[in-house]
Amino acid sequence: MTQEEDVGLKLAFKEIEEIEERDDAALDLLKKRLLGVAVVVLFFFVLIVLRLWNLQIVDGPEYEKRSYGNRVRVRQMAPPRGHILDRNGREIVTNRPSFDVLLIQEDSYDIGDVLKRLAPILGTDVSDLWAKVREASSNPRYMPVRLKEDIDWQTLAYLENHNREFSGIRIEVQPVRVYHYDDLAANTIGYLGAISKKELDEADKSIYSGEDIIGKKGIERLRENDLRGVKGQSYSEVDAKGFEQKQLKTVEPLSGREIRLTLDVDLQQIAESYMAAGEKSGAVVVMEVNTGRVLAAVSAPSIRIKEFIGGISQEQWQALLDNSKHPLINKVVQGTYPPGSTYKMVTALAGLAKGVIDENTTFYCPGSYTFGNRTYNCWRHSGHGSVSLNRAISESCDVYFYQVGLRVGVDSLAEFAQKLGLGARTGVEMEYEKEGLTPTKNWKLKSRKAKWQDGETLSVAIGQGYNLVTPLQLCVMTAALANGGTVFKPKLIEQVVDVEGTIIENFQPELVNQEIGLDKYFKLIRKGMEEVVHGKAGTARNVAIEGLRIAGKTGTAQVVRLAQYRGLKEADIPYVYRDHAWFTCYAPADNPEIAVTVLVEHGLHGGSGAGPIARAVLNQYFNGKIGTKDPNKMVPVAIDPEDGTIE
Amino acid sequence: MIRVDRRLFEHFDVVLMLLIFLVCMMAFFNLYSASFPPKAYGSQPYVKQGYFFLMAFTAFIFIISFDYQVLHFWNYPIYAIVIALLVLAETIGNTAGGAQRWIDLGFFKLQPSEPAKLILIITLASYFSRKEVHEGYSIKDLLVPVILTAIPFVLILLQPDLGTAMMLGIIFVSMAMFARLRMSTYIIMGSLALSLGIFAWEKILKPYQKQRIFTFLEPEKDPMGHGYQVLQSKIAIGSGGKFGKGYMEGTQGHLHFLPERHTDFAFSVWGEEWGFAGSVILVGTYFLLIMWGLYVAMYAKDRFGVLLAYGVVMLIFWQAVINLCMVLGFLPVVGIPLPLFSYGGSSLMTTMLGLGLLMNVRMRRFQNSMSRD
Repeated sequence: MTQEEDVGLKLAFKEIEEIEERDDAALDLLKKRLLGVAVVVLFFFVLIVLRLWNLQIVDGPEYEKRSYGNRVRVRQMAPPRGHILDRNGREIVTNRPSFDVLLIQEDSYDIGDVLKRLAPILGTDVSDLWAKVREASSNPRYMPVRLKEDIDWQTLAYLENHNREFSGIRIEVQPVRVYHYDDLAANTIGYLGAISKKELDEADKSIYSGEDIIGKKGIERLRENDLRGVKGQSYSEVDAKGFEQKQLKTVEPLSGREIRLTLDVDLQQIAESYMAAGEKSGAVVVMEVNTGRVLAAVSAPSIRIKEFIGGISQEQWQALLDNSKHPLINKVVQGTYPPGSTYKMVTALAGLAKGVIDENTTFYCPGSYTFGNRTYNCWRHSGHGSVSLNRAISESCDVYFYQVGLRVGVDSLAEFAQKLGLGARTGVEMEYEKEGLTPTKNWKLKSRKAKWQDGETLSVAIGQGYNLVTPLQLCVMTAALANGGTVFKPKLIEQVVDVEGTIIENFQPELVNQEIGLDKYFKLIRKGMEEVVHGKAGTARNVAIEGLRIAGKTGTAQVVRLAQYRGLKEADIPYVYRDHAWFTCYAPADNPEIAVTVLVEHGLHGGSGAGPIARAVLNQYFNGKIGTKDPNKMVPVAIDPEDGTIE
Repeated sequence: MIRVDRRLFEHFDVVLMLLIFLVCMMAFFNLYSASFPPKAYGSQPYVKQGYFFLMAFTAFIFIISFDYQVLHFWNYPIYAIVIALLVLAETIGNTAGGAQRWIDLGFFKLQPSEPAKLILIITLASYFSRKEVHEGYSIKDLLVPVILTAIPFVLILLQPDLGTAMMLGIIFVSMAMFARLRMSTYIIMGSLALSLGIFAWEKILKPYQKQRIFTFLEPEKDPMGHGYQVLQSKIAIGSGGKFGKGYMEGTQGHLHFLPERHTDFAFSVWGEEWGFAGSVILVGTYFLLIMWGLYVAMYAKDRFGVLLAYGVVMLIFWQAVINLCMVLGFLPVVGIPLPLFSYGGSSLMTTMLGLGLLMNVRMRRFQNSMSRD
């Protein structure tokens, strides 16, 4: 080995060593950078833990709620609505189950497909179903869309068996109303309907929601709070596709309160059937004279409940509005008519109480009475001759009451009318009740800006002119005459009982006004009214029933006095210009129980137009109670077809 | 080739093994819960994953049995095979969720994009360790690594699997930056990436991929659509609260509100059932595993070992972070699984092979490749 070689080898070794040292240095440098990497790793893991802290600890409760909301569906269960019974406990309106098909949009993952397959099963068009879905588009997604109501048993069975094929589709049992007597007392009891946007806005949100069915009219509306009941809730767990996994808990709905009305199904039915027989338009009211219980309240023609179930169509509604007999109007309290001769009791009472007449006062009736430069006719153009109070009432002599009216003045007439319950709302549980009108001098000055003419007093005295009453007011007045001057508030509710049987409300008679010290006058008037039915020349002898003393009064409310119809036979006068027929009465005359008031619009004469209906009601009421048990064994009376009276 | 050295057993890393075992245990229990309610047909995911675990452990044993130095030779042939598989998957592969992703081997549905991640790490580690530049790599030095990355990247992007392609990019960037680049390289690569990104947004990204990004930016706008997944995941994890709803009691998972609850959203099931406490334990275990992996790299005996260990750690780290950020609502849903934890044979196999490499590097940290002594 040469020195050169040795040096070379040494150099080579040194070089290798240097290279190795440099490599080691580079490796150390590389490894040092791992510390930087560790810092980056730490940063990301700290970030993730902080995020976990935020999600699970800080927002944990909020996400817990959302998770609960994801899986738990709360289904509202409509409570069975309270039943509506008559005074004897007969069911008028109750419930039955209706099976409705609902779509929960957020639970259905392909609505289009589901609806397409559902349409033929429901027997509808897909577009109709889509229309319903669109209608509900403004509602929150969790709110169900009611696709079809009240499906039949086969459809129900099919859907129940194939429920997994229809995601988001649910069957809901909803109690629906059953009307055991169809449209019986429909205008009084009313009907139900889906809650409107406006109603929902005004309603208590803790009780009502968008799909609810509520009372829209009549007792159903006015007594909504009693009838409604308390909704139940059913909690269930659903999976992401909306299929129910298990039931969690159920809070059963609480039935609404049962309402027993004062109405009597039999009386109501017979009155309705008599009104319907001649397609009459008008009202019948039957009231207990000593309590104010309304036993029957008929407004004819009645609305048809069926038209309102599931919402009435625009055309049907318009047709009801356009109907000349106004089925939508509850004529019992909304119809105002001149009382006609039925007002003569008011005039008589005023005359007696003011001392301008007594039992024996007579006026001569030549068939007309001239006041100022006008002649006021008596309905009997041949005249009644010398007339006392008794005959004046029973034969309804106009001239007699012209004289009385003139002597007491219009303000006294109004005073006594009001004492008998006219001119003010009775406060019965019916909607939109009218006040009627008992004109006074002041009233005319205020509303007509004109001075009262004494001639107008003549018209008022016989119940024409400005006078307006509702059939119910007239019935209240008749009851007051019968019971000796007590005006009762007419009432429809006998009892309200909750689901546990607790009586929430019980009937209590309510006095509105009581006249004391006029008893002897009432007696005189009642005697006259008895003669109307039982007297030789009474205007309503056709109403008489064997074995029953009835006291009443006929009345004719003039609609128009057009010269062109004067002298025409009544049958030739167009319907809408014919006079309204009144008959109001109570029975038994010696110990009054009920008052019956009948108004037949354009019925011409009280005795013939309205009397038979009152007679039928009385016969029904007293059948089995007093008098004859055989409805056919009624007193046969010949009725003059011309004017319904026997002269 | 296989030299049975006693020292190998002495240097077997019990800590690493324990951490892997811990994650796998949690993953299996979680998958059992995520399999409920059971599928009506076929085998349950947790059963299949059980077989995958056995296969993956076998592969793990195989990987640690030879010296990782041989990969200097084997990396290119394996790389070529994986590329071939990717091309195969693209042409005859089966579709899942609108992307061509896997090849049906009968017993196994191979997703070649998964092993592609690993072979890229090996190839890049081999390249960067053989070609050493002391003053940092120039753009010219990076030409080969860029091409090596670009080929599988484009193939996977075509599938189209944006998430996995993105992972390849992240692996490349992580490894190149770790190996040190020159400042000029950063500038050039940065501007190149930016223009490529703009080009990709305009021309390459599919509408559904763009939708995912939009949805991520405003998830509340579309709670029933694309934002639904993330929202439900957040609800699941959030509703877990402090200690969770209890094992097998997760309602979000069991009632199917959670999407992909076996795979991408497996952590959401865990978070719901075990709460913050359980989540921190799992995330903490990952943290320890990754930190231990960096420790392994620190004590590797040569540059190749360091780069290999580092690459594997980065693969697990980035996938874990991206998946967790995704289920926690930090990132759009990109379809990156949580390594070891999400259901899926290919991903599990790849991760376990990677961890096998880590163990390999660890076990051979005292052996010299050059026999100078």
